[in-house]
Amino acid sequence: MKFLKKREDIVCFACICILLAFMPILLNYGVLSSSSIVLFLGKCIAFAIAAIGIDLIWGYTGILSLGHGLYFALGGYAMAMYLKLQSTGGKITDFMHTGGMTSLPLIWKPFLSLPAAMLLMILVPGGIAAIVGYFIFKNRVKGVYFSIISQALAWAAYSIFIALSPYTNGNVGITEIKSVFGGIKGPSNQRNMFLLFYASLLLMILIFAFCRFLAGRKFGKILVAIRDGENRAYFSGYQVSKYKTFVYVLSAILAAIGGAVFANFNGSITPSQMTISYSITMVIWVAIGGRGTIIGAVIGAFLVNLCEYSLSSGGLVEIWQYIIGAVFCITIIFFKGGITGLVSKYFPIILKKLSKQDNINKNIGKIERSRAYEHSNGS
Amino acid sequence: MKKSRLKFILAVVAGAVFASSFSGCSKSSSQASEQTVKVGLLHSLTGAMAISEKSVRDAEVLAIEEINAAGGVLGKKIEYVEEDGASEPSTFATKAEKLINSDKVSTVFGCWTSSSRKAVKPVFEEYGALLWYPVQYEGMESSPNIIYTGAAPNQQIVPAIEYLIEKGYKKFFLLGSDYVFPRTANMIISAQVKAAGLEIAGEEYASMDQTDFAAIISKIEAAKPDVIINTLNGTGNVSFFKQMAEKNHSSEDYMTMSFSIAEEEVATIGADILKGHMVCWNYYQTTDTEKNKAFVKAYKGKFGENRVTSDPAEAAYDAVYLWKAACEKANSFEVEKVLEAIKGGGISFDAPEGKVEINGENHHLAKTVRIGVVDASGLINEVYATPKPVEPDPYLKTYDWAVAAGVQPLE
Repeated sequence: MKFLKKREDIVCFACICILLAFMPILLNYGVLSSSSIVLFLGKCIAFAIAAIGIDLIWGYTGILSLGHGLYFALGGYAMAMYLKLQSTGGKITDFMHTGGMTSLPLIWKPFLSLPAAMLLMILVPGGIAAIVGYFIFKNRVKGVYFSIISQALAWAAYSIFIALSPYTNGNVGITEIKSVFGGIKGPSNQRNMFLLFYASLLLMILIFAFCRFLAGRKFGKILVAIRDGENRAYFSGYQVSKYKTFVYVLSAILAAIGGAVFANFNGSITPSQMTISYSITMVIWVAIGGRGTIIGAVIGAFLVNLCEYSLSSGGLVEIWQYIIGAVFCITIIFFKGGITGLVSKYFPIILKKLSKQDNINKNIGKIERSRAYEHSNGS
Repeated sequence: MKKSRLKFILAVVAGAVFASSFSGCSKSSSQASEQTVKVGLLHSLTGAMAISEKSVRDAEVLAIEEINAAGGVLGKKIEYVEEDGASEPSTFATKAEKLINSDKVSTVFGCWTSSSRKAVKPVFEEYGALLWYPVQYEGMESSPNIIYTGAAPNQQIVPAIEYLIEKGYKKFFLLGSDYVFPRTANMIISAQVKAAGLEIAGEEYASMDQTDFAAIISKIEAAKPDVIINTLNGTGNVSFFKQMAEKNHSSEDYMTMSFSIAEEEVATIGADILKGHMVCWNYYQTTDTEKNKAFVKAYKGKFGENRVTSDPAEAAYDAVYLWKAACEKANSFEVEKVLEAIKGGGISFDAPEGKVEINGENHHLAKTVRIGVVDASGLINEVYATPKPVEPDPYLKTYDWAVAAGVQPLE
């Protein structure tokens, strides 16, 4: 029992993963009538990976980045460029032809091979984040100023991608690509889809485990210390800017991996994934799910996207954004801990009422702790 | 205590919304019943494109209701499932998958922007589904799973330039928003103008949401073109024409030919500013056919007197009727059989713009091309029309200058 309490997030994550793992099996046996929901869950896995990164930098370290869409899209583009070249057989694409090019531009050449593309998928976003993060955090830019810079960065990159349309296909983005395992749509490609789905699921589990490991170590404690009292962390002798840069780079890489997985499932990547509004959407997933818990990011990414997916059709098609907006507002104003905060606060109470066992003291202690956490977040 | 109770209630409400969304998730996979046939409508009902796409979606709903009132298709009433693309290409792709695979619709009417069409194109091709795309576009595409009911370049851009050349315009200035339609359109126009031995005085692109056109206007003033070929889209048009008007430029000194300004846009920009400027479409609200009088009346009757009909709305309206005709010819709703019937040719509809017919080879429509001039009341009056419908040629293969310039995409 004690083991469960300490690792309730791992139990919860395991439940999510088992549920996800069963989806393709259910589809195979005809319980689920359509494969589109499995494909959509695949996209949600991609979002969850990106959300974990945002939770590390925002939930743990307290740095609100409103430009992670940039890294998400960079990862997605790296993947999509490789996949596009696979589908054209290494020849130049239509949009390069329209842009007046006759041979493959130099910048596209590394994407002919999968390992190089994978490497660039991590190196480019990581490198940009390292350079930006180094200067920003060294100069102790923080709070809202950092948020503004991160937004400006995303906006600048968006403009560049639109302007360089012979290289990037402007706002149409890179379309008509298959996944790394080949085509995933339609009944004949179901095997490929399952392969991609389980590979992505495995990737998410590895990333969750890695981040949970980091957050549970001293490293995670230092991040929280930076969040709650940056100056004290400085005075205690920690090189705060280095920790911040490292977390920023790590979260950028996670966002890029998420973007790459997304490009596989989505079959296209467009610059709208690097807009500010998309970046803010990603932050909202974490806010709804609950910051500073990692599992909250996963829950938020799945829940919010599934909600949007099913609410934005049928009778609610014109008002769905108001409903989701209202849920966001309620969560942000009243439940700062998000869904995980809510559950960890009320679940013990409900349990207690149900079982009427005399572990009241423990629960009160738990509530107080969560309140104290909420308080510290609210400052 | 009171506060915590409030919180508890709010949590329950929020939880209920989440839960209801999941129950809606499983409900949507029900099959169409015996008496109805399901179709999908996939447009942006929220986001930046919502204003434009609403008119198209309304025209589709109008056509569906008219068909249902007249007895339906093959004895079945049409039931439509609406999805919101939210002005976001990847949402379009996700929602297209949902409509095809989970709602199991017989066909989808949808999209407006080229980016949304490009995002859903592989989805329709891989699932072997059918999409009806209602907007004029840049061409260079002919998917076996898409029927394009808007104009191909040779039914809008090319004849408009031919008309201008014939009228004696010699210096052309190309102005467009920075995305695929203007870029491709201007590539075609440049080839055409140069082949005629005339001059392109300049080529400028504005970003999609640009509001300051001072730099571009001064470039235009320096270039002194006879006519500005305008492929700006959306809010860019409003800013550009207002700023031209502020500099006292009118159609008399700087004539424009626009490809994205229809009745709806004239209403937002202002008829006084646009008076005398030229546009090119296949249909105007003023198009003089019996069918159009009935269409305009029905549209205004259903959606309000202040609404105007436009080329994309009319093309969307045609799409539903053409789908009906194709199903009736195939005597089936199955996509494969419908596509086969379309391939056989001869599927036509007596549309508000005149008779349109699907070309079985390239999936575009034969359409009459009309050049119009905006009048002071905000309506567009036809000044020239091709004597008969122009056959679609999305790749411009029948135009020697286009072949010589190599505008066709790679194989």
